[in-house]
Amino acid sequence: MTMHTLSSDDFIDPAAGRRRPGRAQISGMVLLAAIACFAVFGPWLIGIDPAVQQLERYLEAPSLAHPLGLDQLGRSALARLAHAAQLSLALALISVLSAAIPGTLLGLLAAWRGGWLERVLAAIADAVLALPGLLLVLLLAAFAPGGFWPLYVGISLALWVEYFRVVRAATRILMASPHVEAARLLGFGPLHIVRRHLLPELLPRLFTLMRFGFAGAVLAMAALGFVGVGLQPPTAELGVMMIELLPYYGEAPWLIGAPVLVLFLTLLGLLLLSPETEAA
Amino acid sequence: MNGRDMTPALAVEGLAVFHGDTALVRDVSFAIAPGGVLTLLGESGSGKSLLAQAIMGNLPSSLRCAGRVHIAGDSTAAADARSRHAGWGRRLALLPQEPWLALDPTMKVGAQVAETYELVAGGPRGDARVRTDRALASLGLADAAHKYPFMISGGMAQRVAFLATHAAGAPLMIIDEPTKGLDANRRGEVLDLLLAARREGMSLLCITHDIWLARALGGQLAVMLKGEVIEQGESAQVLAAPRQEYTRRLLAADPASWSTPQATHPSTSADALVRIEGIGKAFGPHTLFSGIDAVIGAGEIVAVAGPSGSGKTSFGNIVLGLLRPDSGRVVRAPQLAPTAFQKIQQDPGAAFAPRVTLRQSLRDLVKLHRLDWAELETLLERMRLEPALLDRLPHQVSGGELQRIALARVLLMKPALIFADEPTSRLDPVTQQDVFALLLEHVRASGCALLLVTHDTDIVDRIASRRIVLG
Repeated sequence: MTMHTLSSDDFIDPAAGRRRPGRAQISGMVLLAAIACFAVFGPWLIGIDPAVQQLERYLEAPSLAHPLGLDQLGRSALARLAHAAQLSLALALISVLSAAIPGTLLGLLAAWRGGWLERVLAAIADAVLALPGLLLVLLLAAFAPGGFWPLYVGISLALWVEYFRVVRAATRILMASPHVEAARLLGFGPLHIVRRHLLPELLPRLFTLMRFGFAGAVLAMAALGFVGVGLQPPTAELGVMMIELLPYYGEAPWLIGAPVLVLFLTLLGLLLLSPETEAA
Repeated sequence: MNGRDMTPALAVEGLAVFHGDTALVRDVSFAIAPGGVLTLLGESGSGKSLLAQAIMGNLPSSLRCAGRVHIAGDSTAAADARSRHAGWGRRLALLPQEPWLALDPTMKVGAQVAETYELVAGGPRGDARVRTDRALASLGLADAAHKYPFMISGGMAQRVAFLATHAAGAPLMIIDEPTKGLDANRRGEVLDLLLAARREGMSLLCITHDIWLARALGGQLAVMLKGEVIEQGESAQVLAAPRQEYTRRLLAADPASWSTPQATHPSTSADALVRIEGIGKAFGPHTLFSGIDAVIGAGEIVAVAGPSGSGKTSFGNIVLGLLRPDSGRVVRAPQLAPTAFQKIQQDPGAAFAPRVTLRQSLRDLVKLHRLDWAELETLLERMRLEPALLDRLPHQVSGGELQRIALARVLLMKPALIFADEPTSRLDPVTQQDVFALLLEHVRASGCALLLVTHDTDIVDRIASRRIVLG
């Protein structure tokens, strides 16, 4: 209920429960689908090795064979962009999922069991929160510079806390609700209660967190690549491409413009996905 | 007083509310003289709340309305909601149902009332404080000014909400279900409040399904059914000699007029279902009850009695095993299944998983206990429920229907004891009588025991064979 007015049984609108996606959400979905197609099928469709150099053709302007031209080492910019999109988005997705799944499970466990287990988990979560996420990644990256694993583990470790806290808080309220009480009296076990009573309430919130988390992970990786801690050249990754291409901004602005645009469109698509009720 | 040669405080002409082409309220006309009272009596779904919302100009955007509304002589088209908004608080005020939910929980009581004096009535700040203190004192709330809403009782919160809505001096107040879910003492307080407002010369439009309140308020009475006013007249006259069949049924549904109960057989210790041995419960420093002993036998109907806040629900939850007592213990008969004790909740809307269709919820239950779906269908049919209702989500079904579905769900489990926690306090009298009739019929047929919590002493007198007194 959004407003406390005259509430009554006088009028029950059966359509009120159904939610149709709005125009913004549909454009967000279309945009994300297009980017996903580019990332998944792009490398294969373009069929050019992103690492092959043709030094004599450096910074060549866009042509039919190379729609985004060639970069400072004569590599196909479009092929590199497709590979970069694939790597960045896959990494972000894996990081978000590997933060969301344990975060959610631990949140459920803490709220369900309570007692010392909840206190210990909450203390760990607070300790992680006290540490800036990027610092954690930098710390891990120091052990294995330029690798994929420190990035992934670091981002997941920094992100799971949000899921844990949101799920724990919401679950505690739900566990005290009359419908969960009724389900327990009727003999339903934890699995049923999670599936029918908790998840349907939690998923929309989790999805919101995941959208922001995904955007954050893409940005964090680009930022880490930019300061030289993340993945290193010649790997094609959005952040790495941006650093590599920044010096050539004057001669070939389209080269650096392309990864920036892909990142921008991905974030825009994710933000557009938010339901209108949430936008306010 | 002769209202004819005076401009009515509120007059409504041919008011109708539509959803698409369906009329939810049809052709309603009435007038309230200055200082007069009109009580709108009707069951849930009769359109009485929609009517009030249309007068306020506060209908959901999916509905539209037609007709005219005159407030103290100012006539506006019913559809022109905007022009009536300017009069909110000053010419027309609304006391919402369960008004304690309408108070700002983060703001002290005095400040909330002063806000209306200052911002809506438009007085200087110092003056507003003085008037607030005087008003609070006049309703016996002088000590509450520096408290937050959660620190005061429900009855006090209701008086504060009344002051906050009334402070700007609106001569006309719409009151929505002021006695819903209140026990006898609190109902008396609400009545005193409304009678005091009347003595001050306010005009009241009171929406209720409480026949006791309608009788006590006096004035005019209009009975609504399916969006139409079917009977209108002097309150005392309509209540004494109703002309419409439906009004007679509505009056008969008042628990005070139910037939006297059939005696249930007294329990013997041989068929005791549960023994309650010296249980006590406290929340923080506040002791709810202690040292309560009781035995509930098969087929007994036992009421839990006690004033508001005496822990009646906590007592029932301890018997069910949902809550642990601080002292004493509850011993169930050993042969009982873990699901033998069931509960019917006060708010049926909150008793089902909110985002799952009712059919899915019930199918899960049938599957879990390997029950027979056909048996459920028979139960639903006996509860006079359309099977198509099950394809809806809980909030898309009316409270009365949902409570009957909850009852069917509980009965399907063949319980040995049902704890009914205010099962009908949110339902109108006709639906209440219906739900109780079904509940008692099944309880008697199956020999299951009933532990009943209700604030309505009339119901206790007519149904229960015995009481457990708390507090």
